[in-house]
Amino acid sequence: MSVHILLTTVALALVAGPLGCFVVWRRMAYFGDGLAHSALLGVAFGMIIGVSHQIGMVVIAVIFALSLLWLRAKRVLATDTLLGILAHAALSLGVVAMALLGAGDVEVHDYLLGSFDALTPQTAAWIIGGCGVSLGLLMRLWPGLILMTTSEELAHAEGVPIVRYEFVLMVLMGVVVAASIQLVGVLLITSLLIIPASTARLFARTPEMMALGGSAIACLCMVLGLPIAQAYELATGPVIVCVSVISFMLVLIARLASRKA
Amino acid sequence: MSTELSPSSDYLVSASDLSVIKQGKTILDAVSLDIAKHDFITLIGPNGAGKTILLRHLLKLDTPHSGHVRHQPNLKIGYVPQRVSIDPSLPISVQRFLTVNNSLPAEQLEKLAEETKIMHLLSRPLAVLSGGELQRVLLTRALASEPNLLILDEPAQNLDVNGQLQFYTMIEEIYESRKLSVLMVSHDLHLVMSSTRKVVCLYHHICCSGAPESVARDPEFISIFGDEMAKLMAVYPHTHSHDHDHSHDHGEDSQ
Repeated sequence: MSVHILLTTVALALVAGPLGCFVVWRRMAYFGDGLAHSALLGVAFGMIIGVSHQIGMVVIAVIFALSLLWLRAKRVLATDTLLGILAHAALSLGVVAMALLGAGDVEVHDYLLGSFDALTPQTAAWIIGGCGVSLGLLMRLWPGLILMTTSEELAHAEGVPIVRYEFVLMVLMGVVVAASIQLVGVLLITSLLIIPASTARLFARTPEMMALGGSAIACLCMVLGLPIAQAYELATGPVIVCVSVISFMLVLIARLASRKA
Repeated sequence: MSTELSPSSDYLVSASDLSVIKQGKTILDAVSLDIAKHDFITLIGPNGAGKTILLRHLLKLDTPHSGHVRHQPNLKIGYVPQRVSIDPSLPISVQRFLTVNNSLPAEQLEKLAEETKIMHLLSRPLAVLSGGELQRVLLTRALASEPNLLILDEPAQNLDVNGQLQFYTMIEEIYESRKLSVLMVSHDLHLVMSSTRKVVCLYHHICCSGAPESVARDPEFISIFGDEMAKLMAVYPHTHSHDHDHSHDHGEDSQ
């Protein structure tokens, strides 16, 4: 495994830990899936405008998040219904646009399940930079985000700008989805956020411990999963998810065993 | 009109002619409410009367369609929300919750925790607390900023009768010892009667306000809450002032 792929993996894992915690705490899993569905549209958008896929995806993710916040504020339809509409609209548009732009089935398949053939050092640099900025922002907003997770009402009353904070979380998820989609793929991206954080929850006693634990586990799963995928010529996404599910099961069993003892 | 009251004002918060319309429905209709130093105001009203919306405006979290809310410059509000459900997936201790996103020193936290009787809970996970314990923890957080106004939104809603009584007793003690003002939404008027100086009855507009006994005689109050509540309110101060077994005179009213 080349150095730039390894560094990209570690950077992604570091953000996936804390961000995954918020996905678990604030029940944003379906939102993450929705964002991932919009990724193909982002790629198509990038191709049309002539910018990189990642930038296209982040722009579409921002539009996706804003549309959701705006529609939700209308209070007519439930959030999961809105997400269903937005996600599938974006996915369909994306598939149609990719076909019209002449992208072959192979490329679409790579986006669905992940592959790191296409990861150039330049792209890797962008991803690492994006992860660094995301991580810095998360650390800066951390106390307010934690308070808001215990009670939005309380956080709002104490002066935390909750709508802006939620938007930041959504955009960060967009950035991470855009950054990791090439490696993990659209279909399984949410699991990269959820499974390491959930595994860390089994032993964590503080929010920070859960975030750091999530990062460490995500790191381990990706660094173990990628060479396996490479060696057996498998899609990277499913292999990484398999490794993380195994780690979740092992920690769960250890936890149950220690409780009995 | 300036958005602040003068520092020498007797009022901490002054709301005048607040009107709020949501989706064509009038939620608040020209509501005016002043909170003076060392007031203890209980806000009552049926569900959907606009009580929480009014609190949000008094906290300046929302902007009204017309009217305005003015705060005294050195106003510090401690806020206890209506209900908080802590997701068990968030591993956070009581102590950490009390110190997150503020700068509460450890020794002050201990003092506060003693005042609200939660010393034994500090190391426990927030998600496993009982309803009464959680309310006391929220109250502690509200007191952390040394507020001169405490705003509570149906703080004892999910507690059993005994828990309600204990919680209200604690609010009274804090009200007396800290000399702060209290604005509380509550339906348990018979429990807070002894400390409540003023009752404000809201049903989109302010129906009536004043001492509990006079509010209880107000025809509009009786039409909203019914006879039972009115009797209960009128009866309570009487039975409270005598130290005899009073189960015979309002046993039916209190169910």
